[in-house]
Amino acid sequence: MSPHTDDVALSTTAERAAVVQAAGAQPDKDWVIVTRGLKREYDMGGEIVRALRGVDLAIRRNEYVAIMGPSGSGKSTFMNLIGCLDTPNAGEYWLSGELVSQKNDDELARVRNKEIGFVFQTFNLLPRASALHNVELPLVYAGIGSAERKERAMEALTKVQLDNRATHRPNELSGGQRQRVAIARALVNRPSILLADEPTGNLDSTTSEEIMKVFENLAETGQTVIMVTHEPDIAAHARRVVVLRDGLIASDERKENFTSKLGL
Amino acid sequence: MRITDLLSVAFGEIRANKLRSFFTLLGIIVSVAFLVAVVAIIQGMNAYVKENLAGAIVGTNAFQVRRSPIQIGLYDDEEMKRVARRPRINATDAAAVRLAIPDAQAIGLTTGFPTPRSDIAWRNREVGDILVFGVTPPYQEVQDYRFDAGGPLTETDLEQRRSVVVLGHEVAEKLFESVSPIGQDVRLGSEHFEVIGVVAAKGQVLGQSFDSFALIPFSRYEMLYGRRLTTTISVKMRDAKDVDNAMLRAEEAMRVAHHLRPGQENNFSLETAAALVNFWKQLTAVLFSVIPAVVAIGIVVGGIVIMNIMLMSVSERTREIGIRKAVGARSRDIERQFLAESVALAILGGLLGVVGGWAFAELVASVSPLPARITGWSVILAVTLGATVGVVFGVYPARRAARLDPITALRAE
Repeated sequence: MSPHTDDVALSTTAERAAVVQAAGAQPDKDWVIVTRGLKREYDMGGEIVRALRGVDLAIRRNEYVAIMGPSGSGKSTFMNLIGCLDTPNAGEYWLSGELVSQKNDDELARVRNKEIGFVFQTFNLLPRASALHNVELPLVYAGIGSAERKERAMEALTKVQLDNRATHRPNELSGGQRQRVAIARALVNRPSILLADEPTGNLDSTTSEEIMKVFENLAETGQTVIMVTHEPDIAAHARRVVVLRDGLIASDERKENFTSKLGL
Repeated sequence: MRITDLLSVAFGEIRANKLRSFFTLLGIIVSVAFLVAVVAIIQGMNAYVKENLAGAIVGTNAFQVRRSPIQIGLYDDEEMKRVARRPRINATDAAAVRLAIPDAQAIGLTTGFPTPRSDIAWRNREVGDILVFGVTPPYQEVQDYRFDAGGPLTETDLEQRRSVVVLGHEVAEKLFESVSPIGQDVRLGSEHFEVIGVVAAKGQVLGQSFDSFALIPFSRYEMLYGRRLTTTISVKMRDAKDVDNAMLRAEEAMRVAHHLRPGQENNFSLETAAALVNFWKQLTAVLFSVIPAVVAIGIVVGGIVIMNIMLMSVSERTREIGIRKAVGARSRDIERQFLAESVALAILGGLLGVVGGWAFAELVASVSPLPARITGWSVILAVTLGATVGVVFGVYPARRAARLDPITALRAE
């Protein structure tokens, strides 16, 4: 692993190490995600399952990161914590310079609304609502008025080339189109991070490529993208690959290193 | 989340499940419809009693000075005896009342209890069992009689004790059919009378006809039947607001005429149409106190159904709740959303109930003589009830929805 100074969208190992080790200190706003010793344990009927055992991770603005790992590695737990759907038992989680690991439920809801855009494997669109209304949903909870909502939702749909499908319901759209609606919904509130969980898991390979192209374009226009996947060829679209194993980070390297090791 | 967004989601859900929503609301609809319909019918009966029954007996803007009170139902023995001990009301009393109320529009006398029932005959036709009253002419004004044919008894008829008669609508119709009754010679018992007027129909009240009577001059009546035990003094004021004051003066005059000492009870009765209406209202008050209990049971059952359906809806829409939470809905946003839905449902049920009850009352009104009066308060009550039921029975399902963990909810099928 060699340091990179030419690529602004990729932090160096040294920079990350410096940020992660300054425990308790508020990181620079440029660091979208900083976790220090993040731990999460579950009580499964008296047996303690340690899903995360101290994860240190730093992601800078504009990075496109894939998080990999076999099932049971803790990547889902990690994604839930990053996405503010869950809170850690120990450790710090800083999101855009804000300590979110100690926030209450209402504050976390606000963070999810403003800072995070989710894209799920199963799309998770409201089945009875039109594409436009699905995209509007985060703005509804942001308390934005109907007219502005429609305008911004339309804008987001245009970004994913679905402006001509705005009035269609999810069941009138193909899988790829549904996932693009979900991406538009994730982007509509201009979040700090786009958090995708197995975004191509329910799609055929052609459509998967299409969706990966969308992520690629977003990353190029400056959107921070974090993608959780167990498929190496999907992870290979990212510029940096983090591998989790047994609740700890096993490796964190440039895509080139990752792919060459796999022989891709 | 804005209120308009809450409502649009709530009504969207109701619209999406029309049939289910309808069956959910059936309990509320039926209860509220029952409430509105029964209240409308009772109110209609109240209005009917006020306008027809009371007006027919006492007259509007009028009151009566009587020996015995007007009573619907039975006297008990005690009261019967007390009334029996009262002195009769005579011409002296009438003169005293007349003196006390110089501003009266009309003061009339009617022969009182017992009213003779007689057969009336014309040629070979006969109508049996009609009420014969001896009256002074102003009585006809007190009663607001309109005449189908001819005119009222006059002062001359009274002075000259003429054998003339004014017939009720029903009597004239039965006796003469298509023949003009005016100037015809009829026999009351064995006496001959000339028909000079026919009073327009007053209609039936609860099956009792008010058109089956014959009026003859008070003086002629006393010649024929002898002096009755008592007379009734009927007083009509020009304006309803003068009635109370006139009654006070009449009461005072009567007490003086009957030599009553202060503290002694009145030995006569003052009756107004309002008193009759009040009596009726006491009767309906009993109904009004029973109805809410019946409605309450229906509403509670209806509320439980709503709660049940909302709980089902929460578990059906677990994933939706997860999605909403993931994109930034707070627990209280979810709670409000489901609460808005149950309240909207219940209010809708209330409104449908009002429409149903109104339709039912109109139906009753069209097939029976009872008019239906939809009152504002029963509609407001119905809607308020609906909203309350929606809140009370919606809180628990809404809380459950709000408490769902987003991660678990997102994983739900």
